Amino acid sequence: MKKYLLKRIVYLIIVFFVVSLMMYMIYNLIPSDPALVQMEPLRKSLKPEEWTRQYHELRAKLGLNDPLIVRYARWMGFAKDVNGSFNGLLQGNFGYSISYKRNVIDLLGVPMQNSIILNLISTIITLAITIPLGIYCAVHARKAMDSGIQVFTVIGYSLPTFLIGILFIYIFAVLLGWFPTGGAKTPGSTYTGVMEFLDRMHYLALPTLVLVFTGLAGMTRTVRAAMMDTLSQDYIRTARAKGLKEKVVIYSHAWRNALLPVSTSIMGWMIGVFTGGSLVIENTFSLNGTGRLYISALNNTDYELVLAMQMFYTLVSLIGVLLTDLSYTLVDPRVRIDK
Amino acid sequence: MDHNKNNGSARTAGKKEFFLVRWVRRLFFPNKELDIYAEEQMQSPLRVVARNFFSKPIAVTALIVFILIALFVFIAPNFVTLDLGEQDSTLVFVSPGYSMLKVPAELEKNGVADIAVGNNFSVGADKEGNIYVWGKHKLTKVIDLADIPEEVKNAKIVKVAAGADHVLALDDRGTVYAWGNKRLGQTILPDELESNNRMHTFGIKEIHASNQFSVVVTDDGRVFTWGNDNLADIDYDAETYDGHVVSAAVTNFTYVILLDDGSVSIGGFSPKFTVQKIPEAVKSGVKSIVGTSNTIAATMEDGSLVIWGAPTKGENNVPAFSSPIKEVAGGRYHLTALLEDGTVVSWGGNRYKQIEVPKDIGEVENLYVGSFQNYAVDTDGSIHTWGLKGFLLGTDGLGRDVFARLVNGGKMTMTIGALSVVIEMIIGIILGGIAGYFGGVVDMVVMRIAEVVSSMPFIPFAMILSAVMGTRVSVEQRMYIIMVILGILSWPGLCRLVRAQMFAQREMEYVVAAKALGVKEKKIIFSHIIPNVMSVCLVSITLAFGTSMLTESSLSYLGFGVPLPTPTWGNMLTGANNSIIIQNYWWNWVFVGAIFGLACICINLIGDGLRDALDPKANGR
Repeated sequence: MKKYLLKRIVYLIIVFFVVSLMMYMIYNLIPSDPALVQMEPLRKSLKPEEWTRQYHELRAKLGLNDPLIVRYARWMGFAKDVNGSFNGLLQGNFGYSISYKRNVIDLLGVPMQNSIILNLISTIITLAITIPLGIYCAVHARKAMDSGIQVFTVIGYSLPTFLIGILFIYIFAVLLGWFPTGGAKTPGSTYTGVMEFLDRMHYLALPTLVLVFTGLAGMTRTVRAAMMDTLSQDYIRTARAKGLKEKVVIYSHAWRNALLPVSTSIMGWMIGVFTGGSLVIENTFSLNGTGRLYISALNNTDYELVLAMQMFYTLVSLIGVLLTDLSYTLVDPRVRIDK
Repeated sequence: MDHNKNNGSARTAGKKEFFLVRWVRRLFFPNKELDIYAEEQMQSPLRVVARNFFSKPIAVTALIVFILIALFVFIAPNFVTLDLGEQDSTLVFVSPGYSMLKVPAELEKNGVADIAVGNNFSVGADKEGNIYVWGKHKLTKVIDLADIPEEVKNAKIVKVAAGADHVLALDDRGTVYAWGNKRLGQTILPDELESNNRMHTFGIKEIHASNQFSVVVTDDGRVFTWGNDNLADIDYDAETYDGHVVSAAVTNFTYVILLDDGSVSIGGFSPKFTVQKIPEAVKSGVKSIVGTSNTIAATMEDGSLVIWGAPTKGENNVPAFSSPIKEVAGGRYHLTALLEDGTVVSWGGNRYKQIEVPKDIGEVENLYVGSFQNYAVDTDGSIHTWGLKGFLLGTDGLGRDVFARLVNGGKMTMTIGALSVVIEMIIGIILGGIAGYFGGVVDMVVMRIAEVVSSMPFIPFAMILSAVMGTRVSVEQRMYIIMVILGILSWPGLCRLVRAQMFAQREMEYVVAAKALGVKEKKIIFSHIIPNVMSVCLVSITLAFGTSMLTESSLSYLGFGVPLPTPTWGNMLTGANNSIIIQNYWWNWVFVGAIFGLACICINLIGDGLRDALDPKANGR
C-alpha cells in the first residue's frame, strides 16, 4: 500500500509539472511584454536609440530574453530569479494580478471559501438523497415510481447546468419568489451572527438546489445501476434462498456492496462539479466564487491570476483522481494494489 | 465468402444491391426472425444490436425526434437567412406571433377613417368613430395601448397617430387625446392644447406621433410639440412660423414643416440632424411632405419627388412611375406611393418584405403606411396589407429574429458537436487501436498521455485555450479552434474503450489468421479489428456527441465559445442570464432552451437504448 501510494504521488507530481509546463507554454503564446509596458511612458522623453537601449537592458534584467524553460523554472521556483533568490510557485509566490492590483494569493481566500461551502453543502445533500433514492429505484425497478424518477434523472443529466439554472430561477425566484435571483447576500445588509448566516444560506439555496438537481440525476442512475447489478448476484439469490427477509437481504447484503463502485464515481463527480459545474453556476447566480474569479480573470486577460487558478484546478483534479483510486482500494478489498 | 453473404439476406442472393442500400436494409428490416442458435451463427452482432435497439419504443422515439431536430436545423437555415449585422431598436423584445397586420374585421366592415402605425402595433378608426388597436400593443406588464381611455371610446374619433409607445387620437370636435407610456411626457399635452380640448377655440388639422414625441398642426397654421425633447429636436419657433404652417412630417428624431408659401422649413431654431438640412429644391413649390425614420420626402407641385436626409436602405432610389403621384406615405425605411391611376408603388428597405406590393390589389383609394407595415384600402372598402406580420418566435434584445437565430444557431451547435466528435474519434480510435494492439511500451506511453489529458480540468482548460487562441482569429477559425479543443480534450475516454476491446480482439482466431496470411499490422488494426469494435464504441460516440454539444454551449454561454453575433444555442442563452429577461421576455430563452434540452435528452436516450441493446444480458442469454 505504501509503495503504491508513493508511486501514485510521484506520478501525480510528474503530471502536475507536465501540465504546468504546458500551461506555461500556452500562457507564453500570448504576445505580452512587461518590459514594453514599463518602458512605454518613457518613449517620448527619451531619444529613440536611448529608449531602445534601455528597453533591451530592461528585457535582459527582467529575464525576458532567456529561453522558455528557464523562465518556467523561475516561475515554478526551481531556478533563481533574476534578483538571485528563489521566488516561484513552490515558494508560495502565485503572481500578481494586474486587474485587481493585488497579489494573487490574497485574492483567492473569499472566493475559495464560497465555492467550497457551495460544493460541500450540495454534495452532502445530494448524497443524502441519492443513495436511498437509487436503492429504492433498484429495488422497485420498472414500477411506476421508478419510471417517474428515471424520467427526472434523464432530464437532469441531459440538460446543461446553465439551462437548469435559468429554469430554476424562473420557477423558484420569479414565479414563486422564494429565493433571490442571484448574489451572495442582501445588498446593504448589516446582519450579524445567526441572521447573517441565514441570509447567506437564503442566497445560497437556489444555486445549491441546481447543483443538487444536476448531481442527483447522474448519481441516482449510478446507484441504481450498481444496486441492480448487485441484486442479480448469486449471493443475493443464496440469501433469499435461505429465507432471509427482503429487508435484510437489501440492507445487509446488497447495499454495502452496491456502494463500492458508487464511492469511486462520487469523487469523479465532485471534481467535475468543482471545476466545471460551479463555474457555470457561479456565473449564472453571480456568486463570488473561484469560477467567477476565473472568468473575470480570463475576460480581463489577467494571465498571472489565470495561470495560478489553472494550477489550482489541475491540483484539485489530480488529487481527486488519486483519492478516487485510493478510495476504490480502501472500500473494496478485492481490488489489490500491492502489485 | 459468397456463401456467407447469401445467408445474410436471402433476397439479395440473385442480384447485388448497392452496398449502402443493402446495409441499411439489413440493419433496419431483418427479413426473418431467427431462433437464438441460428442467430448465433447467421446474424452479425450489429444486426442483433439494431434489432434490440429498434424494439425499444423510447429509444426509437428519441432517435426519430433527434433526426427531425437535426434535419430541421440543417435544412431550415437554407430558407431562414441570418443577417449577422441585423438589429433594429424599434423591434426589441417583440413577443412571438403574427398579429401585426391583423386588422379587426369590424374596422373593415364599418369602413376605414384612418389607420396609424406605431412600433409593432397599429391603431385604426372606423367611419363610425370607433377606435381599434392591434399588433403588439402590450408594451410592459402595466402599459397596454389597447387600454383605450373611456373618453376616447365615447368620442367620435376621426384621426389617429401612433408613435413608439403612445397613441394620439383626434375626435370630430377637435379634441386631442393621448395615452400610452407616460414616462417621458408623451401624453402630457401643452396647456393651450389642453384648454382647447375643453373650449374648442381652434380646429386641429394634423396630428403626428413619433419616437416619444408628438406634433400637432392647427387649422390656423400653428404647431404644438411635446414629448421627450432630450432625444428629439422638437423646438418650435412660434414667432417666425405661427400662422404659416400647413403641414408637418415627423422622422425618428425631429420634424419639418411645410409653410403656406410652398417651402419646407425646420420647425426649430437650428438644424441638428441631417434631415433638417433642407435642400434648395424644396424652397418652393412643395405640395406635401412625409417622413421615414431618417429621411423626408416632398411631393412637388409638378408631381416629382425630392428626398433628403440620411437614406440607409435605398429610400432615395425612387422607381419610375406610370402616372402622377397622388399620395406618398413613409414607413421606417421605405416609402409607398399611391398614383393617380390607383396603383401602388413601394421602394426602400425590404428586410421584412414591406415593399412587395401584393399583385391582386384593386384600385386603391387610401394608403396608410408606417414602421414596416402597409395598409391599402381599395374602392370596395376592403383592406390589403403587406409588410412585417410579426415574428414566429419573437425578437431578442437587439431586435433580431429569434427563429432565424434558433435555426442557424442550432446548425452551428450541431456542426461543432459532430465535428468535434469526429476529431475525438480519429484520435481516440487510432491511439487506442495502436496502444491495444501493440501493448508494452507503446501502450504505456499512450496511456500516460491519455491520463495527463484526462486529468486536466476540462472546462477551465478549454476556456483558457479558447481565450488564448481565439482572440486574433475570425469567427470561422474560432469555430474550428473550439472543435479541435473539444476533440483534443475528450479523446482519452474513447481511447481507453478501444484499447480494452483491442486487448480482447487481438487474441481472436481471425486476427491470428490475418497475421498468418501476412496482412500488414496497420491493416489488421484498422480494417479487421476496428470494425468489430465499432458497435461497442457506438454508445460512447453517441454520448460524446451530446457531451460535445453541452460543452460547446457551456463555453459559449460563459463567453468563451463561438463569439456573438454568430448564434449558437449556448450563446443565445447567455443573453437570458438576467432575471428581467427570464421574467418578462420568456421567448428569449424558452424556445432555444426547449429545443436544445430536447436534443440533449434525445441523444442520451439513444445512448441508453444502444447501451441496453449492446448488453448481452438484456438478450436473455
